[in-house]
Amino acid sequence: MATRRPAAWDREADVVVMGTGGAALTAAILAHDQGAKVLVLEKAAMIGGTTAFSGGVPWIPMNRYMREAGIEDSREDALTYLRRLTGGKEPDPHLLEVYVDNAHKMIDYLHEHTPLRFAVPKNYPEYYNDLPGARAGRSLDPVPFDLNQVGEWGPKIRQNPTFPPLTLEEGGAVGGIDFAKIAERMEKNIVTMGRALVGALVKALLDRGVEILTETPGKELVVNDAGEVIGLVAEQGGRKLYIGARKGVVLASGGFEWNRELVRAFLKGHVTHPMSPPGNEGDALIMAMEVGAALGNMSEAWWYPTMQDPTFEYEGHILNQLGGGRMGPNSIVVNRHGKRFVNEGTTYMDMPKSFYVYDPVALEWPNEPPVWMIFDQQLKDRTMIITMMPGEEAPEWVPRADTIRELAEKIGVNADNLEATVNRWNENARKGVDPDFHRGTMYFENLTGGGGSPEANIGTIEKPPFYAVPIYYGTLGTCGGPRINENGQVVSLRGKPISGLYAAGNAAMGVMGQTYASAGGTIGPAMTFGYLAGIAAGSAPSREI
Amino acid sequence: MPDGKHTLEVPVSIDKVWTYVSDIDKWAPLVPGYIEHQIISDRQSTWSFKGDLGFVKKTVKLRIDITEWTEPTRVTFDLTGLSDNFAGNGSFEAEAIGGDRTRMTGYLNINAKGAMGPMVNSILKSFVPKTAEELSTAIADKIVEVNRG
Repeated sequence: MATRRPAAWDREADVVVMGTGGAALTAAILAHDQGAKVLVLEKAAMIGGTTAFSGGVPWIPMNRYMREAGIEDSREDALTYLRRLTGGKEPDPHLLEVYVDNAHKMIDYLHEHTPLRFAVPKNYPEYYNDLPGARAGRSLDPVPFDLNQVGEWGPKIRQNPTFPPLTLEEGGAVGGIDFAKIAERMEKNIVTMGRALVGALVKALLDRGVEILTETPGKELVVNDAGEVIGLVAEQGGRKLYIGARKGVVLASGGFEWNRELVRAFLKGHVTHPMSPPGNEGDALIMAMEVGAALGNMSEAWWYPTMQDPTFEYEGHILNQLGGGRMGPNSIVVNRHGKRFVNEGTTYMDMPKSFYVYDPVALEWPNEPPVWMIFDQQLKDRTMIITMMPGEEAPEWVPRADTIRELAEKIGVNADNLEATVNRWNENARKGVDPDFHRGTMYFENLTGGGGSPEANIGTIEKPPFYAVPIYYGTLGTCGGPRINENGQVVSLRGKPISGLYAAGNAAMGVMGQTYASAGGTIGPAMTFGYLAGIAAGSAPSREI
Repeated sequence: MPDGKHTLEVPVSIDKVWTYVSDIDKWAPLVPGYIEHQIISDRQSTWSFKGDLGFVKKTVKLRIDITEWTEPTRVTFDLTGLSDNFAGNGSFEAEAIGGDRTRMTGYLNINAKGAMGPMVNSILKSFVPKTAEELSTAIADKIVEVNRG
C-alpha cells in the first residue's frame, strides 16, 4: 500500500528521480534545468542501470547529427516506418507522434547543455532498411567518453563485461574488433557505448550539483489525502528514509525482468535469462500499482535469444550474453524436437517471438527454450560465437560430435529429426535457397553488408565436428509499466493523470508496443520520455507537502 | 606481460616453510577463487578457480608443470590455460634469514594469447599482481598459524 504523509521528512527535494539509467538521468537534468532541486536515488551500488549495460544507442528520427551528415529525414517518413512496424498495436498511437516530435529536441537539448555527444555510425542502416520510411542515421553512437572526468563516479558506472570499449561503428557490437585499440582505451579509461552515454550524463549532473544516493532503493510512494504523490519511502542502510517531493517523483528504475512472479503474471513468454542488471525487479511497477496507476504494454519485453559462456559470472548469476553465429551461413536453430521453426537471422526482438507459439494440436509450446544453434567447423573457423574466437579450440562446455546423430544424443534432441532437418537444410543450401523459412531474405541478416542474401546467410552444415549451443529465453528488459501521457505523467486506472507521478524508460509503458524500431529502439523512447517527464515535473507548481 | 611479485618474511624456519609449501594439498584452497585441483603426477597438476576481475568473475582451468624443485629454496613452474588461451610461469623462493626466520617470494606471470590477448592482458595487469600478493600473504599467514606454539 502507498504510505501516508509522515510526521516529518528525512529529506526534501522538488523532484525525486528513481534510477540512474538514460531515462532517469535525462529526467534529472531537465528537471534541474527548470529550476527544481533534484535528488536521484539508485538501488544498487553501481549506477547507470540497463543503459550503462547496453550499447547506449538511441534511435532518433530527424536528429541533428544525421542532418549534419547530409541525411534528410522527415516526420512523415519516421511515422510511416514506425506505424508499419507497430501495426496499430501500440498502446497509444498519439504517443508515437509525441515521440517523433520530441526525440530530436531531446538530443538537441543534451547536445547544447551537457557533454553528451553522438555520431552517426557509418555503414549502419535500419534493421528493417527496406521498409518505406527507413533511414540510416537515426541510430546514434555515443562518442568515446573520458571517464576520468567524473572522478570517483567512474568506477561506479556499470560495465557490460562483453562490450569492449569500441563504438558501434568500430565494431563493438557487430564484429571487426580491434583488440589493440581496446587495450589502449582501457589503459586510458576511455569508455564507449552505454558507459559513455551514462558517463556524459553523470558529468552533467555533477556539474549541476545534483546529488545521487546509491544503495537507496525506493520502496513505496507517499500520497496525501487527495491522492497526490508527494514523496516516497526509500531504504538506506537498513532504515527507512522518508523523502518529500514538492513537485513530483519520476519512476525510471528499469523493468521487472528479474522478478519471477511479475514475469509469470504479465509476460506472454516466460523469460528465464535476462541480460540486464539483476536489480531490475519491478520496484517502480509495484509502487505505481499501489497508487492505482493504469498499466500498458504489460505482456511485452525487448526480447533477445540469449546465449551463455558458463565461465562468466556477473553479480551472482551466469552472465547472459549476445551470442553470435545465428545469421549463419553454416548454422540453424532447432527446437527440442530437432526441427527448425523460424528464420534464424531475424532481429533479436523478433526471433524470440517464435518461442511462445502454441501448438493447439500437440498441446504444447514446441519452441520453448532452450532451443539449439547447430553449426559446423566452417562457421567455427570464421565467426566469433559467444566468447569463442575463430581459430581457437572450442571450450569443453560446448557440446560437439563427429556426426549430427551423436550431437543430437548429447543434447537430448530427437536424432532422427535433427538428421532429417540438417539433410534438408544442406540440400537446399546447395541450391542457395531456404523454402522453409526464407533465410537470406531479411535485411537484418546481413545488416552491415547490404542486407541478407543466400551467399551471406545460407551454407551447408557438413564439416565436422558439429557443435551445439543452447539459446535461452532472454530479454534486454521488459517494456510494460504504468501508463503515461505526453508529459510522461502516470495515468490512473480512471484515466486521469496522477498528480506528482511520472515514469519513463523500462519502468513505464513502452510507447512502441511490440516493436523495436532499430538499434536504439529502447533508449530513444526512454530518454525522450525522461526528457518530457523532467520538463513537466521540474516546471510543475511546488506543492505543500 | 602482466606479472606480479610479492615478498614477505615469516618468523618460521625455512625447513618448516618448505614442509608446508611442498605439500600442494595444504595450501591449494588458499588460492584466491579456488574451486578444485587435481594432482596428476609429481610434476603436473590441474586447477580450477574463479578469478574476480572486478566487473565480472571468470572461471578458469589451467595446468601447472613444475620445472624446478630445489628443496628447500626454490620451485618454478609453467602454467597453461586449459579453458582459455593463455600461458605463463611462476616461482616460489625461500631464503633463510636467521635460524627461525624466512623470506618468501612469490612470482606469477600470465600472458593471454590470440586476438583477444591485448585486451585480456590489459585486464590482467592489475589482477595478476593482486593475486600474487593475496596468495603469498595467505600462505604466509597459514604457515605462521600452523607453526604457532
